[in-house]
Amino acid sequence: MIVAGLMPQAEFVHWWFATGFLMLGLVLLAEAVVGPEVWRKRAWRPYLWPSLCFAMGILMWPVMTFFTNSAIHMVAHGSWAEVLMLCGAAELGVARGKLHSQYWRLTSSLALVVSGTAFLVHEQNAWLFSRAAFLHHTLGWTALICAVFPFVLAFRPRSLVAATGFATFFVLLAVLLYCDRDVAPVFGHFSQFAGVPHR
Amino acid sequence: MRRALVAAVLVALAVPGAAFAHASLKHETPSFGEELKVSPRRVVLQFDQTVDALPRGIQVLTPSGKNLAGKPYVVTAQRQLVAPVPKLPKGAYTIRWQALSNDGHIVSGVYTFGVGVPAPPVTAAVGAQGPTGTEDVVRWLYFVALALLVGGLGFRLLILRGPLPERAERRFFWVTGIGVVAILQVGIVAFLLRGEDMLQLPFRLFIYGDLSPLANGTRYGEAFIAMTLGFALTAAALYLAWLLERRWLLWLAFALGLVFASGLSLSGHSAADPPHSWLSEVADYAHLTAAMLWVGGLVSMIVVVWHGAPELRRTAFLRFSRMATVLVAVLLAAGTYLSILRLPHVHDLWTTGYGQVLLVKLSLVALALLWGAAHHFLAAPRLAAGEGGTLFSRLGRSMLGESAVAMAVLLVAAVLVDSKPPPQPAPRAPVAAHDPSNSLLQGARTRIVTRENHPSNSLLQGH
Repeated sequence: MIVAGLMPQAEFVHWWFATGFLMLGLVLLAEAVVGPEVWRKRAWRPYLWPSLCFAMGILMWPVMTFFTNSAIHMVAHGSWAEVLMLCGAAELGVARGKLHSQYWRLTSSLALVVSGTAFLVHEQNAWLFSRAAFLHHTLGWTALICAVFPFVLAFRPRSLVAATGFATFFVLLAVLLYCDRDVAPVFGHFSQFAGVPHR
Repeated sequence: MRRALVAAVLVALAVPGAAFAHASLKHETPSFGEELKVSPRRVVLQFDQTVDALPRGIQVLTPSGKNLAGKPYVVTAQRQLVAPVPKLPKGAYTIRWQALSNDGHIVSGVYTFGVGVPAPPVTAAVGAQGPTGTEDVVRWLYFVALALLVGGLGFRLLILRGPLPERAERRFFWVTGIGVVAILQVGIVAFLLRGEDMLQLPFRLFIYGDLSPLANGTRYGEAFIAMTLGFALTAAALYLAWLLERRWLLWLAFALGLVFASGLSLSGHSAADPPHSWLSEVADYAHLTAAMLWVGGLVSMIVVVWHGAPELRRTAFLRFSRMATVLVAVLLAAGTYLSILRLPHVHDLWTTGYGQVLLVKLSLVALALLWGAAHHFLAAPRLAAGEGGTLFSRLGRSMLGESAVAMAVLLVAAVLVDSKPPPQPAPRAPVAAHDPSNSLLQGARTRIVTRENHPSNSLLQGH
């Protein structure tokens, strides 16, 4: 009960994770812009985004356990925690040289498919039913479509388009999570059936 | 212009709004698990968004399942859903609620309160059926996963100690990795099953059901939160131990596993059902830990050593044989103490369901102990004398059999944990002889004690 009193608003938590995803996207974008050779001139750089991804996966577990106001949210947050950890772990293993097959990079693709599916399964209404529905659909389909980028990277690691697309996905994800505001002018109430705006 | 834009963005980010989630219950009257002195006049549920009322939006149920609440209505300005109630007599009540969220989803929940009596736990809400056969299987899988993780780590650090051949090391990380991932997955499934029983909703509504009374209002829920977070950290430590090849990270994972496994003991019968004490909790934890180390060690011996590092078979077997003696002693001592504590009479062993399951478990444990004793007293001396060859292959098959019996013990243990021990006899109060008023008092006390022992009042039904 003490914990319940200290719980931040769900929206703030979304924004914290948006910030994390923004950093992730910018790091990936920097790597795509300068190219892998330049990027790896510092030994720690290849570990940067996988570590961030892994750490965000660990941080997602408290979100899953403390926000239990609906079962589907709990399951969705749990699946995101797991795929973030899995994706970060596989990329760290490849960066460290413990995993040798480049096909381990397919875990990033799997992570996006699972994440996108979780968003879409979680939303039962049509796109324009409400701001929430619009965001859920956009996030879900963006993740599913962008899963093609890490898929291509597993087979063509030097593909500039795939690397840029993968990085842009995280930036887009961050923007969409930042839009998680009830009175946001762009994503306001589309439908009167969604109830009156109350903030 | 640019400054104004930046300022506008910062202001926009700083103003909190609702999450793009369904309506959440923020405050309720009566509150979760509250013991009221007098009957409430109405039930008020306040949400973080406006909601629409549904026909049976709030039900106030008596233990017999009769709904006493009037027609619910919405107070839009306050974001409240309200239902009037008549004057409630003394007793325990269950509130089941449903509301149409702004995003079109029906959100649901359940909680309990009492008028003049303590509120029952939410797991004993009206309509909840208690643990099912599926939950027994899920709990068994949880025990197996815990054994793989804790027992595997213990085996690696206490028995094998030094560096391992690459194949054996890989097998060790597979065993413990499967264990920790399974703990997280099975733990979530177990929590959802308990929530489903509590809410008693069809699946399409259950997925939007409010599980927070279970998560925050019961020992089971608190243990779920602590154990999920703890084992997520354990998974991270185990992974980093593999990645960085740092032994201290394995010790960290082992310590975390041991610490957070205590969540089972701190939320189970030994912590919740009378007569519980710190000693019963310690005994339960010792029993659990010894079992995990024994069963997990046995599995690791077969998977990691027997098939991954044949050159270590002799050393590992002799060391494990010594450690198993200590583990079995702890297991038996703690198990005997807990059995005496939970079964007030010897005849409870064959007259109650709990006792009968315990008898099955004791039979299987006896079989496993005989098997282990044969290894300790017959096989170990021959190995110590330098014998090998066919003995190794026979021992491998024999340990596989012992592991199968150990798994069966864990299955029966899972059923036992989900069963309710027989009630404890009421303590006798000193009563002055031949005083009729004191006799009445004695009768009242007995009734109160009986109510406290009723299964519906246990903190965690079947746990």
